[in-house]
Amino acid sequence: MKLLLIEDEKALATSIQNYFQRENFICEWAADYRTAVEKINIYRYDCVLVDLMLPDGDGLDAVRELKRNFPETGIIIISAKNSLDDRITGLNLGSDDYLTKPFHLSELNARVQAVIRRRSFQGSQQIRFGKIQIDPQEHLVLVDQQEIVLTRKEYDLLVYLIANKNRVLTKESIAEHLWGDDADLMDNFDFIYTHIKNLRKKLMDKGCPDYLKSIYGVGYKFSEQ
Amino acid sequence: MKLLERILKYQIVTSLCVLTLGAVLFYFSVDYLIDREVNKELMRSKAKVSWQLRHINELPVYILQLGDSLQLDQVRYPGQMALVERKLFNEFENEYQPYRQLIFYERVEGAWYRVTISKLLAQRQQLLEAVVMTVTFIVALLLISLLLLNSWLSRRLWRPFYKTLRALDSYQVEKHEVLTFPKQHTVEFEQLNQSVTHFTDRLAATYQNLKEFTENASHEIQTPLAVILSKIEGLFQDESLKESQLVALSEISEAANRLAKLNQALLLLTKIENRQFLAGTEPISLVPIINRKLRDLEDLIEQRGITVKTAIEPTGPVMHPALAEVLVNNLLTNAIRYNVNGGTIDIALNAGKLVVRNTGAPIHIDPELMFERFRKEGTHSASLGLGLALAKTICQVNGQTLTYETDGPWHILTVTW
Repeated sequence: MKLLLIEDEKALATSIQNYFQRENFICEWAADYRTAVEKINIYRYDCVLVDLMLPDGDGLDAVRELKRNFPETGIIIISAKNSLDDRITGLNLGSDDYLTKPFHLSELNARVQAVIRRRSFQGSQQIRFGKIQIDPQEHLVLVDQQEIVLTRKEYDLLVYLIANKNRVLTKESIAEHLWGDDADLMDNFDFIYTHIKNLRKKLMDKGCPDYLKSIYGVGYKFSEQ
Repeated sequence: MKLLERILKYQIVTSLCVLTLGAVLFYFSVDYLIDREVNKELMRSKAKVSWQLRHINELPVYILQLGDSLQLDQVRYPGQMALVERKLFNEFENEYQPYRQLIFYERVEGAWYRVTISKLLAQRQQLLEAVVMTVTFIVALLLISLLLLNSWLSRRLWRPFYKTLRALDSYQVEKHEVLTFPKQHTVEFEQLNQSVTHFTDRLAATYQNLKEFTENASHEIQTPLAVILSKIEGLFQDESLKESQLVALSEISEAANRLAKLNQALLLLTKIENRQFLAGTEPISLVPIINRKLRDLEDLIEQRGITVKTAIEPTGPVMHPALAEVLVNNLLTNAIRYNVNGGTIDIALNAGKLVVRNTGAPIHIDPELMFERFRKEGTHSASLGLGLALAKTICQVNGQTLTYETDGPWHILTVTW
C-alpha cells in the first residue's frame, strides 16, 4: 500500500511515517502544497492524507486536484480546524474521512485501512486475522467458519484491534474510538475492560487462541504471539 | 425621579413662593393706596362739613360721597378728632358691614356737635377677593403651562436622549455591535451619541481581538499537541521500555489527551461566542438528535443501571444543526455523568420546551453557578467542567433560555424557546 502524507509539521509527519512503515505501508511525505501536487501527478497512491493548512496553499485544492485526476484514490483530511464548514466542504469534495488534530495514530491507521478496504475490490474487503475472518459489509464475524454474534461496540472494538494488530493500544485511544467525544463520560476505564472481557470470551468460546494481551498501565495489544 | 420632573418640582416651588410673596405685596400695596384714598376723602368731607356748619344759613352743596353717611350729635365738650373702624348694621343689605368713621367736633352757634362721617369699606373686601382670585388663576395657568411644556419637551427634545439610553440598555458586547445614531441638532445629545459610538466601537474591537486571540491560540496549540501525542504513541510501540516507563508514559498520554480535549472544548466555546455558527433559519427537530444520542450512549446507560424515560414530540428551536447537536449532547451526557447508579433520566420535549431531569447527588451551591466554566461539584476528574457552560452559551447566542433547578434528588435542566 502506498500513502502520501501532505503535512507541514515535520515532527508529526515523521511520527505518522514511522507508524505506517511498521504496517509495511510506503508512506511518502510532502511538506507543502507544490510538492504535494507534483507527487500526486506523478505517482499513484492508495490513500492521501491531507492537512488543510499548508504554508503555500489550501489543502482543499489538493483534494480537488486529486478528485479530478485520480478519483479512485482514498482521501483523508487531517486538520487542526474543527470547523463544520471545512468538514462539510471536504466531504462534499469527495474526501472519505475527516480527522481533527490531535488524533491517535492508531485511529488514523484504522481509518486509512477502512478507506482502502472500501475502495478495493470485493475479494480483498475481507479482514483476516489468525482464525478470525470479518466481512465488513455484512458485519459478519467468523472464527473457523463459525459465526459469532457481537454487539455493535464489540464489533467496532474487534475491527479496531485488528487494524492496529501487533501494536500497543492505549485505553484512551480505544475509548475514543468507541465512544468518540463521550469517552470522557467514563470516569475510569473499567468500562473498556468489560467490553474487552466479553469480546475475548466470545472469541475463545469458538476456539480462538487468546490474541489479546493486556499491557500493564497502558492498554492492550492484539497479536498472534 | 425623571430629570424633567425634578426641574418641574423646583419650578413649581419657586413659582408658588414668588406668586405668594407677590400676592401679599400686591394686597398690601393696594390696601395702602385705598386706605390713603379713603382717609383723604374723609378729610375732604370733613372740610366740606365744617364749612357747611359754619354757613348754616346757606343751602347745602353736595358735601358727601354716595354711600357715606353723616351724623350730628350735640355734646357738651369737644373731644379729640378720631378715625375709627367699626362694623355697622346696614339696613338695606341687612348685614353688618365694615365702615371707617371720622369723628370730629364742631361748634355751631354756641353748641358743640360731634360730627361722624361713616364711609363704607366694601371695596376692600372685593379687592382682597380679586387679588386672591387673580393670583390663583395665574398659578393654575402657570402650572398647567409648565406641565404641558414639560411633557412636550420630554416627547420632543429629550427623545434622542431616551433613544440612546434604550440602545445602551440593550447593548450586548457579545453581539459585537457598534451603536450608531442619526445626527442630532442638540449639541449635548450629539456629543453623547458620538461618545457612545466611539466607546462601543472600541469595546467591540477589543472584544473581537480578545476572542480572535483565544481562537488563534487554541488553534496553534492543536499542532504541538498532535506532535506530543503522536510521539508518545510511537514510544508505546518500543518493546525495550520498562513497565515503569510505560506507566509514566501512559500518564503523560492521559494528561496530553485531556489537554487536547480541553482545548477543543474551549475552541468550540469561543467559536460559538464569536458567532461563527450562523443562526438557523428554521426549527430543527430535536427528536432524531436525542434518539441518536441515546443509542450512542446506550451501553453507558445500561452499565450504570440508569432508566431513561422519554416523552418527546417532533419539535425544536430555530438553531444551527451542529449547535443543536452539541446542546443535546451536553445535556444528556451531563444527565448521565452526574446521575447515581440505578438512577433515572426523564426527557420531555414539547412545543417550546426541552426538559432533562436526572437523579443525582445534591449540590451545595446555587444551581445557576453550575453554568460557570470549570465549575465542578464533586470530583469527577474526567469531566472538563465545560459542558454546561457550552450549553448555556449556545442558548444565549440563539436566544433560548437554559435554567438549572434542583428538586429533592432531581436535577432539572430546562431549555425554553
